[in-house]
Amino acid sequence: MVKMTLIARVTDGLPLAEGLDDGRDLPDSDMYKQQVKSLFKNLSRGHNEASRMSVETGPYIFHYIIEGRVCYLTMCDRSYPKKLAFQYLEDLKNEFERVNGPNIETAARPYAFIKFDTFIQKTKKLYQDTRTQRNIAKLNDELYEVHQIMTRNVQEVLGVGEKLDQVSEMSSRLTSESRVYADKAKDLNRQALIRKWAPVAIVLGVVFLLFWVKNKLW
Amino acid sequence: MNTENQGYPNFPARPPPSSSSPFASAPPPGVPTQSGGPESVGFRPPTRPFTPSGPPMAPPVGVMRPFQPPLVSQIPGQGIRPPPPPPSSNSFPSTAYGPPGGGSFQRFPTPPPSGPPTTQTLAGHFSPPMQPMGPPSQSMTSGVPGGYASPPVTGFQQSMPSVNPSYPGVGGPQPSFPPSSYPPQTGGFAQPPGQQNLHPSYAPPTSNVQGLAEDFNSLSLTNIPGSLEPGLDPASFPRPLDGDVEPNTFAEMYPMNCHSRYLRLTTSAIPSSQSLASRWHLPLGAVVCPLAEAPEGEEVTLIDFGSSGIIRCRRCRTYVNPYVTFTDSGRKWRCNICSMLNDVPGEYFSHLDATGRRMDLDQRPELTKGSVEIIAPTEYMVRPPMPPIYFFLIDVSFSAAKSGMLEVAAQTIKSCLDNLPGYPRTQIGFITYDSTLHFYNMKSSLSQPQMMVVSDLDDIFVPLPDDLLVNLSESRNVVEAFLDSLPLMFQNNVNVESAFGPSLKAAYMVMNQLGGKLLIFQNSLPSLGAGRLKLRGDDPRVYGTEKEYTLRVAEDNFYKQMAADCTKFQIGINVYAFSDKYTDIASLGTLAKYTGGQVYYYPGFQSSIHGDKLRHELARDLTRETAWESVMRIRCGKGIRFSSYHGNFMLRSTDLIALPAVDCDKAYAMQLTLEETLLTTPTVYFQVALLYTASCGERRIRVHTAVAPVVTDLGEMYRQADTGSILSVYTRLAIEKTLSGKLDDARNAIQQKIVKALREYRNLHSVQHRLGSRLIYPESLKFLPLYGLAICKSTPLQGGPADASLDERCAAGFTMMALPVKNLLKLLYPNLFRVDEWLLKPSADLDDLKDVLRRVPLAAQSLDSRGLYIYDDGFLLVLWFGRMLSPDIAKNLLGTDFAAELSRVTLQEQENGMSKKLMRLIKKVRENDPSYHPMCFLVRQGEQPREGFLFLRHLTEDQMGGSTSYVDWILQIHRQVQQNA
Repeated sequence: MVKMTLIARVTDGLPLAEGLDDGRDLPDSDMYKQQVKSLFKNLSRGHNEASRMSVETGPYIFHYIIEGRVCYLTMCDRSYPKKLAFQYLEDLKNEFERVNGPNIETAARPYAFIKFDTFIQKTKKLYQDTRTQRNIAKLNDELYEVHQIMTRNVQEVLGVGEKLDQVSEMSSRLTSESRVYADKAKDLNRQALIRKWAPVAIVLGVVFLLFWVKNKLW
Repeated sequence: MNTENQGYPNFPARPPPSSSSPFASAPPPGVPTQSGGPESVGFRPPTRPFTPSGPPMAPPVGVMRPFQPPLVSQIPGQGIRPPPPPPSSNSFPSTAYGPPGGGSFQRFPTPPPSGPPTTQTLAGHFSPPMQPMGPPSQSMTSGVPGGYASPPVTGFQQSMPSVNPSYPGVGGPQPSFPPSSYPPQTGGFAQPPGQQNLHPSYAPPTSNVQGLAEDFNSLSLTNIPGSLEPGLDPASFPRPLDGDVEPNTFAEMYPMNCHSRYLRLTTSAIPSSQSLASRWHLPLGAVVCPLAEAPEGEEVTLIDFGSSGIIRCRRCRTYVNPYVTFTDSGRKWRCNICSMLNDVPGEYFSHLDATGRRMDLDQRPELTKGSVEIIAPTEYMVRPPMPPIYFFLIDVSFSAAKSGMLEVAAQTIKSCLDNLPGYPRTQIGFITYDSTLHFYNMKSSLSQPQMMVVSDLDDIFVPLPDDLLVNLSESRNVVEAFLDSLPLMFQNNVNVESAFGPSLKAAYMVMNQLGGKLLIFQNSLPSLGAGRLKLRGDDPRVYGTEKEYTLRVAEDNFYKQMAADCTKFQIGINVYAFSDKYTDIASLGTLAKYTGGQVYYYPGFQSSIHGDKLRHELARDLTRETAWESVMRIRCGKGIRFSSYHGNFMLRSTDLIALPAVDCDKAYAMQLTLEETLLTTPTVYFQVALLYTASCGERRIRVHTAVAPVVTDLGEMYRQADTGSILSVYTRLAIEKTLSGKLDDARNAIQQKIVKALREYRNLHSVQHRLGSRLIYPESLKFLPLYGLAICKSTPLQGGPADASLDERCAAGFTMMALPVKNLLKLLYPNLFRVDEWLLKPSADLDDLKDVLRRVPLAAQSLDSRGLYIYDDGFLLVLWFGRMLSPDIAKNLLGTDFAAELSRVTLQEQENGMSKKLMRLIKKVRENDPSYHPMCFLVRQGEQPREGFLFLRHLTEDQMGGSTSYVDWILQIHRQVQQNA
C-alpha cells in the first residue's frame, strides 16, 4: 500500500508536489514526513546517493528515484512489492516530466506543481491493490530489474552526515588537544630542568659567596 | 522610528485635519520622487506634514486664546446666544441643504456675524472651525506653544492655500445635510475658509469669529418661549443620507496605511493613558475585513521574497512593512512595532540614499504599500495546500421537495460547476438525508452515481473509503448526472423526519481528511439521532424573564462540539435554512458561527418567490474567491493589546483566529485595551496578517499595516472617531448581549453607552461654551444616536416576541455578526428614494443615478402618496406605490394587473421604456452590493398588513409599537446626558 508520495527538487529540497490525502490513517505521519524532509535535505547537501534507493523506517519503507534533479519518493508498507513501488515512481516521473518538465528549474514557491496531486491520486489508486491483474502482470514482468537497488536503514542514511560531522569534530578536537599537550610538555620539561639544577646552583652560589667573603675579609 | 520622532515630540496632538492638508497636496511621501526632508527613512508620513503645519497651529495657541474674550463681545450673535429662533427662521435658503429645510440645525454661517437666527446652533465643526478648534487641544497637549511661535510666516502662508482644497475631503460630511452639501462643498465652502484659515496666524482679530465657533455640532432642543410648538425640528436632525462616510483624514495623513476597507479603527487617535481611554466611553478597537473586494486596479500586490525568506521581526514576528526604518547604512532594520533592531538578510540588502531611504524602494511594494500579499514558503505549511472542497449536505425530506428548494439548489450548483474556484483540483461531494442517510459514489469511471443508504443513525459509518468526495474535473459527468436526477429522485418523498445530526457527523467523517466548505441545506427541525432538537419555539411567555436568552443560544452541546471539531479540521460550515416553521436557527447557526461561516435564512421558502434569492446567494457563496485553511492574527504596538474579538470564528489561542474558509463578505471586530498606563510612543502600529491557501493552491500571507497617532487629548479622540466602525463593534456587542440577557437589557446598554459618550463630550466642552439646552456631539459622531436607535430596532434586537420570530432574530444576528461595515450601515439605515419623477423623465439614464435618486429620511413623513419609492437595505427591496400614484406609472410597470392585489404580482419587465428603466435600476442596485441578493416586494400604500410587515416596520425614525421615534430618542438621550452632566 502506498502511504504517501512526495516530489521534491534535489538541488534545494523544495517540495514540488505531494499526494493529496497523505497521512490518512497514519498515526505517525508527521514523524515520517519529518524524516522525508531530512532525507531531502541530505540529498540537497549533495551527499552522493544512488539514484534509486530504498530506505527502511519502522514498519514502512521509503523508495525513491532521482531523475533530472527531481526526487520522487513514496512510502509503502514493507510487504509492498518493491517492484511495484518503483514502477509507480516511474509512472509519476514520466508524467511529471511530460507536464512540468521545463518549469522545474524555475519553480520558486513550494508546491508549485500542486496540481499534479490529482494525477498522483489517480495513479496511486491503480497501484493500491497488489493482486489486480495489471499489477500481477507487472510483477511478473522481468524487464525492470530492481534487485540491485540498495536497501538501507533510515537511521543509517540520515546518520551518514551526522557521522561525518562527528569524525571531523573529533579530529579537530584531537589537533587542538595535542597542541595543548605539546605546550604542556614543554612547560613541564622546563620545570623539571629547574627542579633538577636549582639546588646545585644555589650550593655553588653559596660556596662562591663564601669564597668571595673570605677573600674580602682576609 | 524613535530617532526620527524626537524632533517633534507632540506631533500626534496636532489636529490632523489641518496638518494633513499640506501633506495631501504634496506627492505621497513614500514615493521616491519626493526628495525627502532631513528626516530619515521610513517614518516619512508623520514627519512631512508636521514640518509645514507646525506654524499654522502654533499661532492659535499663542494668539487666539488671549483674544477670545474681546471677541465674545464683538460678535453679539455668538456670545449672547439669544433664545433659539423658530426653526423656520433660518437665514439660509434651506433648499441648498436638502429637501426638508435647515431648521435649527444650521450650517456655519460665513464669517461676518449674521443675525441672531443663525447663531445659537452653529454647526461649527466644518472646515473653518477646524482651525480654531485646534487651540484647546493643542494647548493641552503640546504645552510648548512658544516653541513654535516664531516660524517664518511665509512658510505658513504657503501651506495654507493647500489647506483649503483638502478640506472638503477632510471635513466632508460635517454639514447637517450631507446629500446636498457634500458635493457642493468643494466650491461652496472654499471661500469662507479661504479667509478664515489664514487668519489664525497673525490676522487681525476681526477674523477670529470662528474662534468662537465650536468644534462640535449641536441640536437645539428647547422650546421657544411663548410658543406652543416644540422648538425642535426633526428635519434638522443628522441623517446619514450619504451612506457610510469614512473619515479620510487618517488615510491622507498616512498614505501608506492600508485602505479603510480592510481595517477601520473606531478612532484614529489612540489614547495615551488608561485614564483617557476610560473617559472615551465608546469602544476602542477595530473592524477588520481582510479580504475585502478591491475595485479594479487596486488589487493587493503579490510579492515573492524568494530565497531571502520573509522578512519578519525576530522578536514580535511583525512582517516587514512601510513603517520599518533602515539604519546602519542598510544593514539593519528597526521593527516599528517592538522597535527591535534586526539584521537585513544579504539578499534583501540595499544601500540607503542620502536621506536614509532604500535605493530600491520602488521595486519593493512591501515597503511602500499598506496592503501586500506574500507567497509563503514551506515553513508556513503544515501540509501541502489543500484543494478547494465543496461538500453538500442536503435535506431531501418532504418539505424540501415540495417547496422547490431541491430543484433550485441542484440547478444552481450545476450551473456553478464551471465557476467553482481552483480548477482542476476542486473536489465535490454530496450526502442527502431524511430519516436515513444517502451517500453517493461518484467515481469517475461510473456513468451514474451509486446511491448507498445507511439507516443506522446511532453508529454512523462511511460506506466507502473513497469516491464520496471526488475531483470535479474527473467526475464531472457523474456529478452532473447526479444533480439532474436529484430533484426527481425525491420529488415524491413523503418522509418528514430529518436525521440532521448523524448526517452532519457523516459529512464530517468524509471531510476531515482535508477540510473544505460544508454547505448544509436544512428544511425542518432536526428530529432524529444525535443533535435532535426540541420544538422550544416561540414561546412568548419566556420573553421578559431571566431565561429569555436561552432561546437564542444553542440548545444542545452537540452543535458547539461539532463546530469545534470542524474548525480543527479546516471545515467551514454555511447553513441554508428554509423552513416556514421553527427550525432552531439558534442551534444550527452555532455551526456557522464557530467555523467562520454564514447563515442564510429563507423563511417559508417557495421557489417562485425565493428562488432568485437562493440562486444568487448560493452562486455567490460557491464562486466567490475563498481563502482556505486560514488563520488571522492582528499585532499592535507595545502597551496595547487586543482583548476581545467579535464575529464568526473560533479563537485558537488568545489572539489567533481560526477561519477554515473566509471570503470578502466577512468582517471581524476586535477591541483594544491599554496595558501600560502611559503610551510614550507618538504613534501606534497595527498589523493584520491572514495566512491562507488560495484556491489556486498557493499559500499566501495577506498583510495589512496601519498607523495611528497617540493623543493625550480626549477631544481629538472624538474628532477622529469613525461612526461606522464604532457601530459595527456596538452591534456585535449588543447581539452578544442578547445571548446572555434580555433584549431590553441589550437595548438599554446601547443607549447607555451613547449617553455616556455624549455626556463625556459635553463635559469636555461645557466649560468653554455655554451649551444651554443643546445636545452637542462631535462632527464625527453625528449619526451615532440615529444608528444607535437603528441597532435597537434591528431584527435581532427589536421589540418583543411579536415583532420578529425567533428564527429570524437569530439568523439576522448571525448575519450581522459577520457583516462588513458598509453593509451593516446600509442595513441599519437603509436607502429610501423616490423614483417616479426619475422614471417620468425621458432622457435620464443610469449614469446620473446619484443625482436623481436622492435618499430621503426613513420616516413615514417623507413619503408622498403620489410617489413611487424604493426601499433597499441590502437584503430586501421594497417598491412602495403611493395611493395616489398616477395609474399610468403603475400600469406601465405592472402591466395589465396593476390594480390587483400586489402580493400576487411579481415585477416583470414590461414592453415599455419605463419598466425597462426600473428593471435596470433594480439590477444596478443589486449589483452594487453582490454579497446578498435583495428580494423585491411590491407594496401599495395602506395595504395592511403587508405594508406594515414589509415596509413600515423598517422606517427607523418612526414610532412603532413599543419602539421610540427618532425625536423621542434624541430627547431621551439628551435628557440623560444632561442629568449629572
